[in-house]
Parts: sequence; structure tokens; C-alpha cells
Amino acid sequence: MINLSHISKIELEIKYLDALIYACNRLGFEFVENQNTYRWYGRWVGDSPLPEGISKDELGRCDHAIKIPGCTYEIGVVKKNNMYILLWDSWDSKLRLAIGHNAGIIKQAYTAELVRYKARLKGYSVLEKKTQKGIRIVLQK
Amino acid sequence: MEEIIIDIDESGEISVETRGFRGKACLEESQFVKDLLGHELFRQLTPAYYITEKIKTKKYLKLCG
Repeated sequence: MINLSHISKIELEIKYLDALIYACNRLGFEFVENQNTYRWYGRWVGDSPLPEGISKDELGRCDHAIKIPGCTYEIGVVKKNNMYILLWDSWDSKLRLAIGHNAGIIKQAYTAELVRYKARLKGYSVLEKKTQKGIRIVLQK
Repeated sequence: MEEIIIDIDESGEISVETRGFRGKACLEESQFVKDLLGHELFRQLTPAYYITEKIKTKKYLKLCG
């Protein structure tokens, strides 16, 4: 048994567009660069909280978009303070199912793609496996 | 063997664990993962964190004089 020396919880910030594109490819989603609007209900009715740093006037506009096969609505990708914020209308149940709670499935794929690429550059061997709760990536040197 | 383990659950929650490191090296080695992904919300150090490398010392006995 190898000794556990510390545990950290991380709040994800999407900073690398390439990794987001790879994540979309992994999930079978289409990343559309420079699409400036994304499909949604069209006006905010207060059925879900606004993402931090986004006003209701900014909804519907984006820098890039993500299309998901079989879904009517789309995901907007907005660049703000060197980070990318994902915007979507969770009324579309197919979209909700495809991206998971809080877009967790996209965040999972993004993290996996980013860590795999950057860790290999630093000389780590990378193992990825499915777990009951999600994905586990093990870096070894 | 030294390992950095990253778990990402279905809601996008990320936890990072380090195994097999001694002392502060685990924090240094895993920092690049944390910088890459965002910011650290919580950290828990375990007893293995406080284990230091064994230092070998030699003692000489005076035999005469």
C-alpha cells in the first residue's frame, strides 16, 4: 500500500481552448469556432441561477459554440478574464443529459484531455480508467 | 512508486491525491496539476506528509588520546 500524503479539491477553470476542443471530439460534440450566438430559449426567465460574472443581457452571445447531436439548444463558450465560461439553457432535457449536472461531463473530458497532454510533456506516464464516480487519471514517474 | 492521482466525477468535481512522496515534495510535484486546472479549494495533509528522509549519521569513537 502506497502512503497517501495529501488530498486537494480543485475548482476547475477552463483556460485552454485546445483541450476544450479535444474534449468535444472525445464526446462526439461539434465545437464551432467563432460562432457568436448559441441556440437557447431566447430570454432569461429565472429558472436557473446566472453563472458568476455573466449578466442576463450577455446570455445568447458567445465567442464559440458547441453543438450536441440530437439537441435543439447549444452551448455558448464565452471568453472572460482569460477563462472560458460555458453557457447553456438546461430546459433542453437531451442537452442536460448529454452534458451532465453542471456540465460535469464536458468538464471531466476537458480535465482528462488537458492533464494527459501536459503530464506527458513533463515526463509522466499517464493511465486513465473509468471509476464508479467518473474518471481516474494516474500520473507516475 | 510516486503517483499523482486525479479523480473527476460526473459533476466535474476534481480531487488530487499524492501517494508515495515523502514530506513537502508531494505539494511541489502536484502543483503543476493544480495550476493547470484552476485553483485549490481545500487541502488535507496526511501523516505521510510529515515523514522526512532518514539521515544517516556516522559516529566515531575516540580510541586513544
